[in-house]
Amino acid sequence: MTEPIEIVVVGAGPGGLSAALAAAQAGARVALVDNNRQPGGQYFRQPAREFRGAASPHQRQGADLWQRVQAAGVHWWAETTAWGAAETRVLTLAGNHAPSSIQPPAIILATGTYERTVAFPGWTLPGVMTAGAAQTLLKEQHLLPGKKILLVGTGPLQLVLAAELVRAGAHVVAVLEGAPIFQKGAAHLGSLWGQWERVVEGASSWLTLASHAVPYRTSWGIVAANGNRQVAGATIARLDAAWQPVAGSEEQIACDTICLGYGFIPFTALAQLLGAQMTWQPELGGDVPTRDANLQTSAPGVYAVGDGAGIGGAALAQVEGEIAGIAAAAQLGHHADTAAQKIQALLPRLTRERQFQKMYAALFTPGAGLDTLARDETILCRCEEITQADVRRAIALGANSAGEVKSITRGGMGDCQGRMCSHLLAHAIARETQQTLAQVGRVRPRPPLFPTPIPVLGQVQAARAEESLR
Amino acid sequence: MSRIQSAGLQRGQPVTILVNGKRESAYLGETIAGALLAAGHRAWRRTRHGEPRGLFCGIGVCFDCTVTVNGAPNVRACQTPVAEGMIIETDWVAEVNA
Repeated sequence: MTEPIEIVVVGAGPGGLSAALAAAQAGARVALVDNNRQPGGQYFRQPAREFRGAASPHQRQGADLWQRVQAAGVHWWAETTAWGAAETRVLTLAGNHAPSSIQPPAIILATGTYERTVAFPGWTLPGVMTAGAAQTLLKEQHLLPGKKILLVGTGPLQLVLAAELVRAGAHVVAVLEGAPIFQKGAAHLGSLWGQWERVVEGASSWLTLASHAVPYRTSWGIVAANGNRQVAGATIARLDAAWQPVAGSEEQIACDTICLGYGFIPFTALAQLLGAQMTWQPELGGDVPTRDANLQTSAPGVYAVGDGAGIGGAALAQVEGEIAGIAAAAQLGHHADTAAQKIQALLPRLTRERQFQKMYAALFTPGAGLDTLARDETILCRCEEITQADVRRAIALGANSAGEVKSITRGGMGDCQGRMCSHLLAHAIARETQQTLAQVGRVRPRPPLFPTPIPVLGQVQAARAEESLR
Repeated sequence: MSRIQSAGLQRGQPVTILVNGKRESAYLGETIAGALLAAGHRAWRRTRHGEPRGLFCGIGVCFDCTVTVNGAPNVRACQTPVAEGMIIETDWVAEVNA
């Protein structure tokens, strides 16, 4: 590389693509890192490169954005995992197209999100998967995840996924929405003003499900997945206002696939390793970095945008990406004189999307009952196979915090590094010890955030040693 | 579980992969997870406690769907594209119901 990279953008979803584009158009030398083969993230997930004629209008929109990013001269580091970071604004990377470590003047985190898991009896059975897994199979692979599919969770994304599955020929046995949206929804109708694309998408999904007679039940949820070695059915129940299953309302439903769509958790591990201060915001998905008006975190030169900084959807991620891209470039002296004016012009869009985010969170944030479905023998940590009873035993031994339970049980120390379980463990500990989540605390992420081959760790050591000799 | 046939959609080149020694057809662009599902597999990892696991997060963050590929262990099936002649070994060898 002749000229050093000035800004590294982590994550090539809507937020990262927009940030990279804005920063590069302002004149900064930008590299875009993503662990996928193709850009787009989850929202703009592209069909496999080798497939032809498979793109939906929505995927073409993502492809158009990607073309503009390429035309702006952004370096593309595909299939690259940002597996570690340090408070000195260092990122460590594993991938064939990227250096093993980099310390750029600015970093924009657009790390996105992963599904909030729910522990209930049978949730580790093959055939139970996240809604995101089903969506990826559908959009990228053009595969149906199963034959008889049950969707459980909350939010309009479930409706959209159900409609896409039905249009692709799947048999969707039911869609269960945990929230009592028909009671709560009316109060929020005003916030839909100006959200016409979303209204149309929702209505069209609704019509597809209605015309295929797919049952859609609100205030219903899953209680257990049943089957021997793989899913053969589910026990479902009506939920009260706190999302607690109502005793006696249980029904059995036959299915071979269960898709969980109970919302999202922001991926903040890199922000934490980079030294960004965090704040607990349940309506944004949990712990999120604090940010100033330019979306810079408390760590100088580290910006955070999109779902990885607080769940808000793709449109909010894009406008945040533009703001951070402009601001980070300006901080490095690119078009610093006009940046404030450009950001000012984006504020109405930012406000509108944040209002929509608020309505969404008010309607679709799960109630506390969702965290009470596990039984003693139910696994909470999938990697290390730690059950609720194991957590209880650790507490009986004197453990009182997330860190202490982790030390005793190894819960959260497996290959997923707590991404699937740390919220489940925290809720279980809080309930058992009658503390708040804040009192239970959180386990600090540590590199490697993803399993990383030993030779890659060696490369970082070698590169550091070389630097110190220079 | 099944490949979607739709007008105008053309998959990549057909390839043959070996799953626990058995030949299966797949298409370039498919992930190992996609090809395994299409071949009727639902479970392919065996946990330390002997439980079956398959695809869960589908986006590379949970590490539940790992398989052995050409002798290399712990490869995420959901993130790894198939290739001609790829040798895939699963530690859960299940009844296949295609």
